Amino acid sequence: MMNIILLVLTAIALFIYTRVLLDDETEEELYSQVAFYEQHIQKGNSPISISPIIDIKIVATKTPTVLKDTMMYDARQKEIELYREISRTIKSSDRYYQIKIRTLIIESEDIFIGIIISFISVLLIAFVILFFINKSRNEKLWAPFFTSLNKLKSFSLESREPIIFESSNIEEFNDLNNRLNALISKINTDYSNLKQFTEDVSHEAQTPLAIMQAKIENIINKSDISDIQYEEFTSIQKDVKRLTQLNKRLIILAKIDNDQFSKPKTIDLKQLITERVEDFEDISENSFQIDHNSKTTIKMDPYLAEVLINNLLTNAIKYSPSKSTIHIKVDGAMVQVANSGAKMISNPDRLFERFYKENSNKKATGLGLSIVSKICSYYGFTCSYRFNEIGKQHVFQIDFI
Amino acid sequence: MKILIAEDELALQQSIKVYLEHDGNVCEIASDFHEAQEKVDLYDYDVLILDINLETGSGLEVLRTLKKNNKKVGVVIISANSSLEDKLEGLDLGADDYITKPFHLAELNSRIKAVLRRGKFGGNDTIIFNEIRIDTRSRTAYVNDKPITLTRKEYDLLLFFISNQGRVLSKEIIAEHLWGDNSDLLDNFDFIYVHINNLRKKMKDTGTRYIKTAYGSGYKFMAE
Repeated sequence: MMNIILLVLTAIALFIYTRVLLDDETEEELYSQVAFYEQHIQKGNSPISISPIIDIKIVATKTPTVLKDTMMYDARQKEIELYREISRTIKSSDRYYQIKIRTLIIESEDIFIGIIISFISVLLIAFVILFFINKSRNEKLWAPFFTSLNKLKSFSLESREPIIFESSNIEEFNDLNNRLNALISKINTDYSNLKQFTEDVSHEAQTPLAIMQAKIENIINKSDISDIQYEEFTSIQKDVKRLTQLNKRLIILAKIDNDQFSKPKTIDLKQLITERVEDFEDISENSFQIDHNSKTTIKMDPYLAEVLINNLLTNAIKYSPSKSTIHIKVDGAMVQVANSGAKMISNPDRLFERFYKENSNKKATGLGLSIVSKICSYYGFTCSYRFNEIGKQHVFQIDFI
Repeated sequence: MKILIAEDELALQQSIKVYLEHDGNVCEIASDFHEAQEKVDLYDYDVLILDINLETGSGLEVLRTLKKNNKKVGVVIISANSSLEDKLEGLDLGADDYITKPFHLAELNSRIKAVLRRGKFGGNDTIIFNEIRIDTRSRTAYVNDKPITLTRKEYDLLLFFISNQGRVLSKEIIAEHLWGDNSDLLDNFDFIYVHINNLRKKMKDTGTRYIKTAYGSGYKFMAE
């Protein structure tokens, strides 16, 4: 704002100064020309008039010297122009000669436009130059900041690569990097503690669960309990079983997090699925249909492969209507498990989250699919869900790429 | 049978002891690593029930001692850790079976009996219960010397019943024995009812005589 006011004031001052300078110069020129003609006439030469610049005529009386502006028609340019005119009367050979000399004045408008154009040009040039200078300076100055920012963007809790922010010679950035280093090392420690905690708690819970289960068995083997008490105890058995399953799943998740499955083997997917399906056929009222177009082998930990297929099948069995058919398709580097369903699930994007349950009636742990997703991300596979509207099927697909 | 229970969790140790003594077994206990080491060194047992994570040392170390001394003991490992490495290491060191906590005592009992049956301890492949005879090598059951055709599950069920004779087996315990972790897929236990009913029918009146209902929904295998 200040700059603009300053710029306008400068332009005005420059305009006035130029105007005055030009006027002075014009006047000086007129005076010198008049003197020149005066001399010319004094020498007895006959005066010549060149309209509209020089106009010499004989007059009766002497008039004082006058300097004024006058408008005259310029036949050549066919317009009225502003002239500065000096008129002086001289005496020569007893005659009075009136000499009028005129010169074109540069109009204020022209000066003004000239000033504005030069100002704008200067400003533009200055702006462009400053822009590039600033840009290159800023790039250099902010380089350490952007390096840190990029490192921060690539940060992931799952990644086992530590992130170290380099020190910079700019104090503020150095400070920022130090803080980030401290923050990230704290996050990593907390996260690994949390993972360890989950595994520890799950392991520690196994023994008390074992004690509970053992005691229940000894109690129901004493003959002095009633049928009702027996029902209560077997119901506790069921809950112990649920807790046990929950624990087992949490342990699997923690173990994957802690990178404890690192013995990949080549697994024949079709064989694995056939084996698992045989197991499930025994306890499920659903029927299974396996399509395999090619021999598919994957390289992964055999235990995790079993867990992966088991969880996909278990999920399909749990959420399909009884006596319906579960379709399993193996094609290239892909496996699909599809079970019947009335409509698309309400929160497909939350499906693979821990403890997310689409249907709260089911006695599910809510961990089965999150284990599937964990195993997939561990090996870089893709797992996805979609609902086939035509076939009314929930389709879970894993791409082993 | 003489059994050593090496388990530092006293409540669990006592429960196992009570359950196993019911069958007339003699149970001794070891509550820490040193006691276990000492007892397997001094005495002879038919079966050792071994917790891997003993408070003062690893159960695997006890196994090494047994192997070094060339003692013939059937070993069943009980562990809170389900990791495959532990299991393989235990079996490598001469353990006969591995069971993860928590487990059903009936399951532990049937595993112990299976370990004892295996030939290497001079055990017997044949189980006899009154008129029932089971050849565990060929997985065939006979009633009054006549073979009966059983499905895999029915055979497992019969063996489980006879191993835990006189005990109340709830449907939860039976389901877990037959289907392991997959048993939580069962919405109800109708499947068990079907298998038990078929088994009873195939064994004719012998089946109905021995497989009894307990507390309305449990089962108990026993002579009259």
